[in-house]
Amino acid sequence: MIKQVSIFVENKPGAMMEITEALSSAQVNIRAIAAFDTPEFGILRLVVDNPKKAKEDLTSKGFVVRIQEVIGVELQDEKGTLNHMLTCLSRANINMNYIYSFVIRQGRAPIMVFQADDEEKAKEVLTREGIKMIKEEEL
Amino acid sequence: MIWAKEETLSRSEMEALQLKKLKETASYIYDRVEPYRKKMDEAGVKPEDIQSLADLQKLPFTYKVDFRDNYPTGLFAVDKKELVRFHASSGTTGKPTMVGYTRKDMENWTENVARVVCMGGASDQDVAQISFGYGTFTGALGLHGGLEKVGAAVIPMSSGNAKKQMMFMEDLGVTLLVATPSYALHLGEELKARGLDPSKDLSLRIGLFGGEGMTEAMRDEMHKLWGEDFFCTQNYGMSELCGPGVAGECEALTGMHFNEDWFIPEIIDPVTEEVLPPGERGELVITCLGKEAIPLVRYRTGDLTRLMYEPCSCGRTTVRMENITGRADDMLVIRGVNVFPTQIEEVLFSIPEIGPHYEILVERINHLDAMTISVELVDDTLLDSYSKLSELGDRIKTGLKEQLGLATKIKLVAPQSLKRFEGKAKRVTDLRKDGV
Repeated sequence: MIKQVSIFVENKPGAMMEITEALSSAQVNIRAIAAFDTPEFGILRLVVDNPKKAKEDLTSKGFVVRIQEVIGVELQDEKGTLNHMLTCLSRANINMNYIYSFVIRQGRAPIMVFQADDEEKAKEVLTREGIKMIKEEEL
Repeated sequence: MIWAKEETLSRSEMEALQLKKLKETASYIYDRVEPYRKKMDEAGVKPEDIQSLADLQKLPFTYKVDFRDNYPTGLFAVDKKELVRFHASSGTTGKPTMVGYTRKDMENWTENVARVVCMGGASDQDVAQISFGYGTFTGALGLHGGLEKVGAAVIPMSSGNAKKQMMFMEDLGVTLLVATPSYALHLGEELKARGLDPSKDLSLRIGLFGGEGMTEAMRDEMHKLWGEDFFCTQNYGMSELCGPGVAGECEALTGMHFNEDWFIPEIIDPVTEEVLPPGERGELVITCLGKEAIPLVRYRTGDLTRLMYEPCSCGRTTVRMENITGRADDMLVIRGVNVFPTQIEEVLFSIPEIGPHYEILVERINHLDAMTISVELVDDTLLDSYSKLSELGDRIKTGLKEQLGLATKIKLVAPQSLKRFEGKAKRVTDLRKDGV
């Protein structure tokens, strides 16, 4: 499991920038980012190198921040690997709430981050299928 | 047409009638209603101290909060078996303002509404469509009774469903519309959007508007939408006083005539509570005369206006009041419904996931009032999923709908992003200009 930082954002110009600016000045490195189009407010989801520091810093600046454990899997950069993973989860009837991928991993295989309604079962399925889940320290 | 002879009494005749009824009212409340007796004893005033109309000033004020403190029937002067009707409107907080009527009260109320609709030009020739929301609010059923009394054919339409409103107007040859002025404007636009020209395709000639104030800009707009010959008047009332039927505009359109033999208006300085001389602007205070179920003395309406005692060209001698120019308190009128920020606060404070600060924005979109309430999110556990966040928004909306009877828009914002106030908080921004 890896730690994900979720931050409440209003849908208005500059809302995300305020967050990236805060993290930048706190010397926190962003490794993955996801936000979806929602009408008035949304949740910005990040994977960063120092989640604790990110939360402390953003909370002190008035943001609502949540740290959550989510699943990260390492997929080979080959055709069909994502499809294979999703097929396995789908067969086990696991619902995925969201999924996003890492920005850059300097030559290493891409990582997909997702949140499922039944995380334990999802992990079981992935282990059984030999899909590699990433630990926080492997990022 | 002038409905009742009481509308044309000389000033001295009117004052003699008012004094007689005022003396009866003073004894009635002292003998029958505990909270009034307590207040009068505290003020050291007995019913027999009321010997002239000027003595009215000796009686204590009644406030909207008295209805809440004595909810549901603590201000009632009669047993339930004497009652034939209850109505309720929004209170300052969760409890509604509850009122009741005896059979005699119903007759008097209907009589007063009949006078007001006659002032607006209604007669037994009219087919009247009532597009106020029916229910516990007094507006719809009040106008309903008064219009039936003058002999108009009443359609209890209620608000909403423009298509059906239009069909009835066309098919039944509706001549008279009862609505809030903003709903009438909205409806006019809807009809135009459906390719109908109200001035050519409909028989509508009279608009009787209430529930909220109608500005002159709204009246002009009304003519643009419904035709130059559409005669628009507004009338005044509130459920505490009986409902509609307290005052109304006549064909001269120079203020709303009070039914003075039933309601004595005073204008006070809302801060010093001193009665102001005739013609000065201040808070309207009303004493009901001859009300049985729930007598009401020196009621602080919160509405700001001035009174005009000069004779009117319509022939009525009753005092007129100017358009309401504002409120002495922070009450808002949203789609004809009275809304107090304290009511909204009560709902918001019961929801732990949001902070104690809030802002209310009121706008008029397509002639309809829209209220947006911004609240600060404080609970980070809701960030687990978007559905939890949107569920919070829905929960706030449902709570407000139950409390206010109105749909609202909720805006979740980041903590610390709403304005903080050191003195009196200004949480309401009302962008409605001239009501149009």
